[in-house]
Amino acid sequence: MKVLVIEDEVELSKSICCYLEKDNFICEPSYDFIDAFRKITGKNYACILLDISLPKGNGLDLLKEIKALGKKDCVLIISAKNSLNDKLDGLNLGADDYLTKPFHLPELSARIAAILRRKYFEGQNRIVIDDLSIELENKIVNGKNGIIELTKKEYELLLYFTANKNKVVTKEAMVEHLWGEHIDLNDNYDFIYTHIKNLRKKLLQNGCTDYIKAVYGMGYKFCIELQ
Amino acid sequence: MVAIFLASSLVIFKFTQVILIRERNADLAGVENTIRMYVKKFDSLPQASPLDEENIKYVLNGNQIAERKIAVTQMFSLRENKMHNFIRLDFPLWANGTWYKVSVAKPLEGLHHLSNALLTISILTILVFILISILLNNLLLRRLWRPFYNSMHLMRNFKLGEIGPLVFPITTTSEFLFMNESLALATGKAKQDYLLLKEFTENASHEIQTPLSIIRSKLDLLIQEEELSQKQSELVREAYRSIKKLSRLNQSLLLLAKIENQQFEYIQLVDLKEKVKGKIEEFRELWQNNNIKANVDLKESQMQINPELLDILLNNLFSNAVNHNAIGGSISIELKNSEFTIINSSHSDALDEKKIFSRFYKTSVHNNGNGLGLSIIKQISRVSRIRLNYKYAGQLHFFSISW
Repeated sequence: MKVLVIEDEVELSKSICCYLEKDNFICEPSYDFIDAFRKITGKNYACILLDISLPKGNGLDLLKEIKALGKKDCVLIISAKNSLNDKLDGLNLGADDYLTKPFHLPELSARIAAILRRKYFEGQNRIVIDDLSIELENKIVNGKNGIIELTKKEYELLLYFTANKNKVVTKEAMVEHLWGEHIDLNDNYDFIYTHIKNLRKKLLQNGCTDYIKAVYGMGYKFCIELQ
Repeated sequence: MVAIFLASSLVIFKFTQVILIRERNADLAGVENTIRMYVKKFDSLPQASPLDEENIKYVLNGNQIAERKIAVTQMFSLRENKMHNFIRLDFPLWANGTWYKVSVAKPLEGLHHLSNALLTISILTILVFILISILLNNLLLRRLWRPFYNSMHLMRNFKLGEIGPLVFPITTTSEFLFMNESLALATGKAKQDYLLLKEFTENASHEIQTPLSIIRSKLDLLIQEEELSQKQSELVREAYRSIKKLSRLNQSLLLLAKIENQQFEYIQLVDLKEKVKGKIEEFRELWQNNNIKANVDLKESQMQINPELLDILLNNLFSNAVNHNAIGGSISIELKNSEFTIINSSHSDALDEKKIFSRFYKTSVHNNGNGLGLSIIKQISRVSRIRLNYKYAGQLHFFSISW
């Protein structure tokens, strides 16, 4: 799947591309308004990552152009502007989601996965990994031995892991994903351990493989065999 | 003023006294002359008329020539039938071939009365004058100075963060006009500088976001590397943790700058009970994890506030009550019609009420917060016109807002 990364900070753009390419996305960077304009009018992308403040123009104008052209490309705004109004402006113009900088790359991955699922897999909206299947519509998780009862946070965590397969995800990134960036919880991330422990136990009990591995001092990794 | 008046009336009193005494002396000298002329003409002593004011006495002195002198003495006044002050002139007189000592005395009572009257009038004048000045001050001057007091009142309530220029009352007095213009200019300039500074803070924080984003993304990539040794992992981990803190700090500063720059002006009526309920759900898990016992008592309540700010305010109050709590501690949340209180147990003692809401106030080195949480709460309260209170009682910390 092709992703257009419209971001004027070259280094950030490189990081994003590097991270997403491991998930088999094909990333195309674009560093300014004019180049981006040419690309969006010329080609179709599965997803467009759009920065708002760009050299030679405003990202929101690009968004208007995408919508005016009647394109179905998913648009995820990535911006340093984090006020509610900026978000609402972006979403009202038809963006699918809005992510505030600075963000964790796993968070970006999770957001992109969510948008793509919403847009392209309507109807048969389900993630399947070996014996594990997640029905996104009604939030039911099935294992080999039947339904796995998960709490809301455990479910969100599982979904987050599936969007970041075989990647190391830090506790900080998980906390931010589960509780939002505004909640300041000091450095006490022990409670994330409880969630992981429970999730692993439930998956194992229902005959799933033990996917979640602790990475020393860093966080966790959702390991699956790549086909 | 009073002293000047008193001094001047005393001087007037003295002068009048001196002038009058001199006049009396001249009168006495006139009598002396009259007597001498009478003696020269008729060679006999004139008899004192009972109608005369003067009291004239002749004493035979033989060969002795009496000394000429003027003195004040006490004598019996026939008219008033009592002892009185008299001024008396003694002088020698040659008549009928012998020396006489003539004493001419005039009563001083008139003079005395006159002086008294003078003093009384002076004091009365002073009193009337003081009374009039007080009245003038109170009525006229107060009205005259009203524009001045109005301007001073405005200045006293002047706050840098407030929007809009200071509007001084219109006055026709040119001095006050000048003063108001100068004040308006000075406050306007201060405001402008303050805004520039705020803008700078906001822009600076904003600019810092970009390199932070890059560092964060690079670290996210770095930890994906398979070959990291344990030591390298720990180094990355520490860098990651610090970047996290830096981002949070920067976001808090940016938020403070935005609040001060009035970027959250939109307000709406919010159902606070629903909102608090939602927050409790978000945090319940954290409480359970730390074995914190929660008491919740919610009544219907509404509030006019910017919804985004309310969310941040509640997040900060709730986070604060968890972060500073003890394992196995307690949290109480009470929502009344127009008051919200959150009470938490803690290891720390009472916080300094004066400093608690100031930036970077930290109670201990173990505290991992960035010291901005409470000052964000304060700023939000300020712009939302909410009263914010802190108290410490029975080893519990009470934070309450009322509106």
